[in-house]
Amino acid sequence: MTTTGVWLLVAAVVVLLLLGWTLWTLTRLRRLSGRVDRAWTALETQLQRRAGLADELGREHADALGEGAAHRLAEAAAAVRTPPSGDREAAENALGRELRELPADLAVPTALQADLAGTGTRLQLARRFYNDAVRDTRDLRHRRLARLLRVHAHRPLPRFFDIDDGLGPALSAVPPADRGADRP
Amino acid sequence: MRIGLVCPYMWDTPGGVQYHVRDLAETLRGLGHDVAVLTPAESEESLTEPWMTWAGRTVPIPYNGAMSSVQFGPVSAARVRRWLRDGHFDVVHVHDPAAPSIGLSVCMLAEGPIVATFHAATVRSKWLTAWGPMVRPWLERISGRIAVSDFARRLQVEHLGGDAVIIPNGVHVDAFAEGPSLPGHTRGVDGPTIGFIGRYEEPRKGLPVLLEAMRTVVRRHPGAQLLVAGRGDPEALQELVGEELRPHVALLGELTEADKAAFFRSVDVYCAPNLLGESFGVILIEALAAGAPIVASDLAAFAAVLEDGAAGVLVRRGDPAALAAALGDLLADPERRAELSTRGRQVAAGYDWSVLAQRILAVYETVVVPGAEVTAADADEILLTPDSPGRGTRRTRVRR
Repeated sequence: MTTTGVWLLVAAVVVLLLLGWTLWTLTRLRRLSGRVDRAWTALETQLQRRAGLADELGREHADALGEGAAHRLAEAAAAVRTPPSGDREAAENALGRELRELPADLAVPTALQADLAGTGTRLQLARRFYNDAVRDTRDLRHRRLARLLRVHAHRPLPRFFDIDDGLGPALSAVPPADRGADRP
Repeated sequence: MRIGLVCPYMWDTPGGVQYHVRDLAETLRGLGHDVAVLTPAESEESLTEPWMTWAGRTVPIPYNGAMSSVQFGPVSAARVRRWLRDGHFDVVHVHDPAAPSIGLSVCMLAEGPIVATFHAATVRSKWLTAWGPMVRPWLERISGRIAVSDFARRLQVEHLGGDAVIIPNGVHVDAFAEGPSLPGHTRGVDGPTIGFIGRYEEPRKGLPVLLEAMRTVVRRHPGAQLLVAGRGDPEALQELVGEELRPHVALLGELTEADKAAFFRSVDVYCAPNLLGESFGVILIEALAAGAPIVASDLAAFAAVLEDGAAGVLVRRGDPAALAAALGDLLADPERRAELSTRGRQVAAGYDWSVLAQRILAVYETVVVPGAEVTAADADEILLTPDSPGRGTRRTRVRR
């Protein structure tokens, strides 16, 4: 075999390997993108549910919370749905802060309190799983070969969702077994 | 909910993961969920329940002085695929999926929400460093990861990528809390007893340290008895005990589950003198559930269960003098024992399966896609299917 032939063969093998790697990476990224989407839907559901419950608490149990706290809670819940500054994370953090400051012995129906606690723990799970999916995607996208071959380079990188999702006394008051047991 | 549990180890061999899967399946079924289990076993007949499916046998491979089991290939893949297709699961839950086992096959073949629990009881980190990157493409398909301890979570973060929520191992608290005592060893009535359970030939379980401490303890409490339960060679143990201590040590051999519970209810103090890290202290939780006051070495896992000493006495590992002092003091102080017993029962309640099953269900609910079920891929397809239009734009909008 001539030298040129050998080089051509080597080049063909390299091209084939790169092609195989690219296809495999594209498959992985496609799956990851599905996982990120599903995780975001789950997180969004819990965030909406929390805002709904906070809204209910603020509007219908103002006497139990005190006028000032009830007003702030309702306002924070509204801000989450349409963040004035466009910063969803800041709005969610503000709502989380209001909820964390609620005292443990709130005079509200236990079902509502259990719902709030259940949503709180599920939100923690959903956020953890979402950020996990984002991390896996970003790791793969940042691989040197992936950048060199510009795999998915035209797509925006998924962003982490960073909020403080600590629970505070009102949301941890219910024993774990009862938390949101009545919710699907 | 329809839940598929996958146990990667032989069902008829005793092991922590097997017990975990069995207890979780029974608890979830008790709550009205439809649970199926896929597991290898030495003989198909040991799977007595109709909701259990046999996945063949694992192949033992000697590794690093212990046996690891491996099960991988087209035959087990076909079984996994059939089980996934017939199951119509809302979610599948695999255990220790990093090893070449049916758990990994499920991660490769299942299309839909997968939850994984990392026990890391038998995994070694040297092995994970080499193997982890190779299996990562498939572990990426797991939607929700659970680790049973902080140790297991760290292994997972360092070697397999991704984070995990910690949900510990559970016990059936009721089975330990109420019931008979061992005949002749009623707590507080017969002479003071100290209990030890474990393979006593393994030095890392710390029995030699405990025996050394006993020599001091019996001088202060001449009626004290040490009850030793577990597997091992009785003659070798007698030699270790020695003439002087022999009247104070009773060998009980291997205990059944019921006898183990009775054992914990009988002893005045349970001692865990282990020298090396156990990934999780299930045995301590069982003792706590039975109201046994505990003296344990200060391993990270034990300190976590005993709430840094609030629910049990922690002593420096491998220090017979400190252990003897702690045991002697506790035997002389019935009030402190009663206090530890009460606190211990409260701690154990948090590890009851009824509580943990709810936490695991919350994980399932978080990853389940409404209206969809888990299916099996025909082959591990490499072909690209184009993304549906609009997906990218929607994502950018909501994530902003």
